[in-house]
Amino acid sequence: MAFSLLSVPKRIHKTFSNLRTGVILLILVGLASALGTFILQRPATDPEKLARAYSPATLHWLDRLGLTDVFHTWWFLTLLGLVSLSIILVSIDRFPNAWRFYARPYRKTDSHFRSALPNKVELPISNTEDGLNAAERALKKTGWPVERIADRNEPSLYSERHRFSVMSVYLVHASLLLIFAGGIIDGVFGFSGFMALQKGQTSNTIELRAGGTRQLPFAVKCNGAGQENYADGSPKRWWSKLAVVENGQDVETKEIVVNDPLIHNGLRFYQASFGTTGKLEGLKVAVTPAQGVPSEITLTMNQPVQLDPKTTVTLAEYIPDFFVRDNQIFKRSDDPVNPAFRLQVKNTATGEEAKLWMFPAYNAAAQGEATSYKFEYRDMEMATYTGLEVSHEPGQWLVWAGVLLMGAGLFVAFYLVHMRIWIAAVTDPRGNLVLWIGGQANKNRDRFEQKFNELVDNIRTELESASAIPLSAQRERPELTLAGMK
Amino acid sequence: MATTRARVVQMEQRPATGGNALLILVGLSVAFLLIVALLGAAKSGGSLFSESNLLYVSLIFYAAAGALYMGFGVTGTARYVKFASTATAIGLVANTLAIAHRWYLSGRPPFASIYEMLLSFVWAVALLTLVAEKKFGVKIIGSITMPLAVVCVILMQLLPSEVRPLVPALQSTWLHVHVTLAMLAYAACALSFALAMMFLIQDGLKTETFLACTSATVSAIYVAIVATRFEKWGGLSVTAWDPRTKSDMFLGRGMRLFVTIPDLGWLFVIAALSGIVPLALYFAARAKKDESLFGIANRAVFIGILLQIVVLAAFALRVRDASYPSPDQDGLFPTSLAASPFLLGGMVTGIFASLLYLMMLWRRTDLQGMLPSADTLDRVTYKTICIAFPLLTGMIATGAYWANRTWGSYWSWDPKETWAAITWLVYAGYLHMRITRGWRGRRAAYFAILGFGIVIFTFLGVTYLLPGLHAYA
Repeated sequence: MAFSLLSVPKRIHKTFSNLRTGVILLILVGLASALGTFILQRPATDPEKLARAYSPATLHWLDRLGLTDVFHTWWFLTLLGLVSLSIILVSIDRFPNAWRFYARPYRKTDSHFRSALPNKVELPISNTEDGLNAAERALKKTGWPVERIADRNEPSLYSERHRFSVMSVYLVHASLLLIFAGGIIDGVFGFSGFMALQKGQTSNTIELRAGGTRQLPFAVKCNGAGQENYADGSPKRWWSKLAVVENGQDVETKEIVVNDPLIHNGLRFYQASFGTTGKLEGLKVAVTPAQGVPSEITLTMNQPVQLDPKTTVTLAEYIPDFFVRDNQIFKRSDDPVNPAFRLQVKNTATGEEAKLWMFPAYNAAAQGEATSYKFEYRDMEMATYTGLEVSHEPGQWLVWAGVLLMGAGLFVAFYLVHMRIWIAAVTDPRGNLVLWIGGQANKNRDRFEQKFNELVDNIRTELESASAIPLSAQRERPELTLAGMK
Repeated sequence: MATTRARVVQMEQRPATGGNALLILVGLSVAFLLIVALLGAAKSGGSLFSESNLLYVSLIFYAAAGALYMGFGVTGTARYVKFASTATAIGLVANTLAIAHRWYLSGRPPFASIYEMLLSFVWAVALLTLVAEKKFGVKIIGSITMPLAVVCVILMQLLPSEVRPLVPALQSTWLHVHVTLAMLAYAACALSFALAMMFLIQDGLKTETFLACTSATVSAIYVAIVATRFEKWGGLSVTAWDPRTKSDMFLGRGMRLFVTIPDLGWLFVIAALSGIVPLALYFAARAKKDESLFGIANRAVFIGILLQIVVLAAFALRVRDASYPSPDQDGLFPTSLAASPFLLGGMVTGIFASLLYLMMLWRRTDLQGMLPSADTLDRVTYKTICIAFPLLTGMIATGAYWANRTWGSYWSWDPKETWAAITWLVYAGYLHMRITRGWRGRRAAYFAILGFGIVIFTFLGVTYLLPGLHAYA
């Protein structure tokens, strides 16, 4: 019986609607997240660093268990799913009670209820109507809404504030679910990737974070990019002028900077990085003829430049970081830290070629076979690229809605107190007619106690003034009965 | 309860000769330190109201306030509190001026580095201390929060403090909103931690349990240092420091250069004993049910403090402006106290924790007379967390929104983000257990203490141990 098929959903429901299960799940999420910050994570750390940090066997097991990419493994996502389930079931379980409480507040003042209230005071009165009227006046003066309850032969007053605060927990829980929903939508339908563009380049392909590429329905063109520095050399600003190209036409242009992306059709392009490609864009050299003044020219790879009608010069080779072995020049790395340039000076009439080398780190002047021209290094320009982070997060609006809702929910939950006041004229055990005042708050009870005591004092003064100066009380009475009848 | 009351009355009636002595002592130290600072400032010819001078003034006054709060805890002289809160207020004013000065100089709110964040964290802690004292009548709270403030200001003296221009990612209004919320939230958490400790004292948690916790903390600090920094043949490895650029030295990208100070490692092993020995004695006493061992353990704590101070002094002397070999690169490299702010912070924390324990050990009944009732403390702790939690939520939300504008994703499981979320979960757990399960008293207090531990880890530990996108802080 206990294990019948029907009882399984019930058991699941019972387990997950239990607050303890919820808290255990939260603890598990916390522990898993902590593990994910201590163990190096896959996409963010490069494989070499992982190999250096862990032995192959350890790494194998970490990978198998998903610990090198905790936040995207099936078991972590399952855990988050179970947390959501638990939030939903706990809320559903408690909602009917809370709703009953909210929709039908308990207004009566029977003796059993009266004895259970934490804050209560009895003030002697001469007759029921006067007592209740005085109390009503006092409540209204301090801004409490008052309801008259006609129950059996015992008329009473009921007043409450911020009843909605009872439901705040559902706002907060709903907001969490919204945020989760947004996250799930982004996990399923969203993507993010990277796109590097050189000046003038157009592309519609992004390299996805998860691996592979993706074609966008439109292309993006880079009309320029740059970096501005502070005086101390640290970067101040990165910018890129981007244009969205659809069917060969620019439909939108924007200069983006860090913190200010281009958004087109739900796709966002962020300024993520800026750098040099390692490709040479131009070499500036000063050329001095045998007799004459030097002039400055810019050489690009394999593009001959006319020096005079019979002579051209060509940048034939570029090595970003060279070293010499056995009188040969080799490349050490792609960093343009120690460049070498080979120039070819050609006599177009005779076809004679002279080879010159330029090593700016050592000597600005070019050296090699003799020509009638002298070349001197001035500057080199590297081709730059702008790195764009591209992301599509269709669920983010749900997340922001959730965040706003949570803000509202927390505000109501923490700072709006549901306060209730009951007032009735009753006969105390000794047979005297008294005005019984009781109150309750769902949080911040010491503060409420203060308010309650103030209110009692106000009622007391109202009672005294009503009995001491009957004229003024009589003057006030007509409007009060009107208010009371409403 | 009645006996405690009687004791308080007795305390108040006792002639306050000891009380004057402490006041005079603290007053003289403050005056002396101020004059030294003034002379130093006059000699260097810089502006008298520079940020570092102002910060130094607030350090002096925070320290004085801490001493007076502790003095109040020990002797119960009511006048101490008056002077202590005045000192806190003066420190707070100096701190405010320091922030304003930095703001004015840099032309932006000072929220962009760990130094600047500590500046506002300390400010918020001092402010909340005064609020807790005046509004909730928790007078003794300063004896926990002021040492915390002092540790932070000492840490700040070592952290790089020059105004750096904002890198592109930080040029956002959200930075200010995010960091302001974070600092207020963290300060509120610090306060709830102090209140929870007070609660445990008032609630009659066994002194031995405090002994175990204090020794465990001290052991944890030194075992962590030894585990990560102890080198072969007793050396201690510390980060190399470049005095010209005033920054850590690097071997390559993200790889700090470490130097080994010979023989210092052994001293740290011995210092670890100052936590481990009392802890071991505690367990021995529990196992053998031998109360007398607790007495020995308490003496061990006392000796441990002296030991820790010696190690701290030795560390400071050896590290200061000397060059040491590195295992990774040939040659001698300088190091400095500034290169190891967190080692130093840990050591100072260990000393303060032990001192606070001794204060409690010797004057527990007096302390209990000074504190509000356990019930009040419990409620105020809860209220503080009710303030901290929405602030934490706001911090995470604004951080997510800002990240979305800068990195293209509102959540990327960066270590700092993840730990902020864990902090949030812990406090959410606290609130749930309290509201729906009616957790009161001790369990709630343990929760509050755990929460603050995680806050400190998120704030400082993650920055130091688990670098990620939050590289600047």
